[in-house]
Amino acid sequence: MDITWGASASHELAWGGIIAIYLFLAGVAGGAFLTSALTELFSKNRQLKVIRAGAYIAPVAILIGLAMLVVDLGKPLSFWKLILYVNFHSVMSIGTFIISIFTALAVVYAYLVWMAAAAEKKIQITVAGQEMAAAKATGIQSWRKPVAVIGSLFALGTATYTGFLLSAVTTNGLWHVSFLGIEGIPFLPILFLVSAISAGLAATLIGAVDCSDLTAYKKADIILLAIEIILLAVLYTSVKAAFFSGGMATLFWLGVVVVGLLLPLVLAIYGVTKHKNLVLPVCGMVVVGGLCLRYFVVYSGQLFR
Amino acid sequence: MAKQYVMVIQASKCIGCQACTVACKFQNEVPEGQYRTKSPAIGPTGTYPNVKLYFEKEACQMCKNAPCVGVCPTKASYYNEDGVVLVDANKCIGCKYCMTACPYDARFLNEETGAADKCSFCYEHRVSQGEKPACVSTCVGGALVFGDVNDPNSEVKKLLDKHKAEVRKPEFGTHPNVYYIYEGVK
Repeated sequence: MDITWGASASHELAWGGIIAIYLFLAGVAGGAFLTSALTELFSKNRQLKVIRAGAYIAPVAILIGLAMLVVDLGKPLSFWKLILYVNFHSVMSIGTFIISIFTALAVVYAYLVWMAAAAEKKIQITVAGQEMAAAKATGIQSWRKPVAVIGSLFALGTATYTGFLLSAVTTNGLWHVSFLGIEGIPFLPILFLVSAISAGLAATLIGAVDCSDLTAYKKADIILLAIEIILLAVLYTSVKAAFFSGGMATLFWLGVVVVGLLLPLVLAIYGVTKHKNLVLPVCGMVVVGGLCLRYFVVYSGQLFR
Repeated sequence: MAKQYVMVIQASKCIGCQACTVACKFQNEVPEGQYRTKSPAIGPTGTYPNVKLYFEKEACQMCKNAPCVGVCPTKASYYNEDGVVLVDANKCIGCKYCMTACPYDARFLNEETGAADKCSFCYEHRVSQGEKPACVSTCVGGALVFGDVNDPNSEVKKLLDKHKAEVRKPEFGTHPNVYYIYEGVK
């Protein structure tokens, strides 16, 4: 590096792996919450294990993600200024409030689900504790459905926000790309929403792997994977080829496309009809693929903009 | 009429001495290894006898439509009353969103303060006291000119009227207040 005579000093990317993992975890949290809440609200046979797995994964994932976000700040201890100083023109400023509300609702929802589980004596606690939980449960459980409904809206908001955060950077050719060239419809929020639901659903199914019948979820998974493949094909044709070159080529083709989409799609289609024990490998790959996608978009957008 | 501070850089007068780089380090106490301004060599290009080399001073371009100001979640990046883009290090939390938005790579995270940092046209310590930015005052070849473009008698206004000036990366619509005159070097 010779700033006097040579090329200007190459400097580190502003956002690295920590931000990629944060965007991924926020997506998983949103997707897991939606899986749990929609099962709670609309499923006839209400798979309890799915409801519980999703309800517990959401707050854990978003809290770890937020912790990583704070650690990545230049001044970690000043994160509270995000709430004190508001800029309505900044997607990050708006997102702060969406994610904060989502996190609070995810914690409340997980607590309500846990209380109901405790009341059903599924969790081993003291006899007195169970009785207390059972007594409290009857009244407070009436909050569960409203929290699931409002929480779902904020889960959608959180998952979409991770896309808007990047797409708002107008000077970035990959992040700011519009959907099918339609001005005003950014592409990334759509891609990240679908990927978030897919990865959140997969993470939830890993948590509920010993459930008797997951056929409906596996079918939803197949549809989401198919949509994601179409979206990535759209992205590939919408931006310059450089974004898929160099070190990013392997990450995209192997991590995102093969491991994250094609293999799980083939296995899922095969598994729905024949094997029941493909949940772990399929869902594991979908989750890994979701992480690879965030890494790819965060890095490639900055490397080749 | 409100002031609009601009910098005009005449590449043909720059001898690459890096006095601006050093003066900026003096004035602004920028940490080691970090720079508010750099003037790397562009080239040499071509083959003998038509070989060319010039220096391009890189720093904040003081955009009128600054991407960094729009994305900042805490309004730490702002325009002051004279059209200068500044960072309030106290409000800044170091999220680096502005660094992803700036197409000129003009910003960095100050290792000592943890806040986003960049060229300020030396506004607080020099320009607001009626002086020129440190790099302009020290420029050996007279390549750097600074002033209020809204003042018809200013040197910058006369230079911009007389010469063909360019801005960097106009395709982003950022409308910089730093102009480059490449006559004689390109």
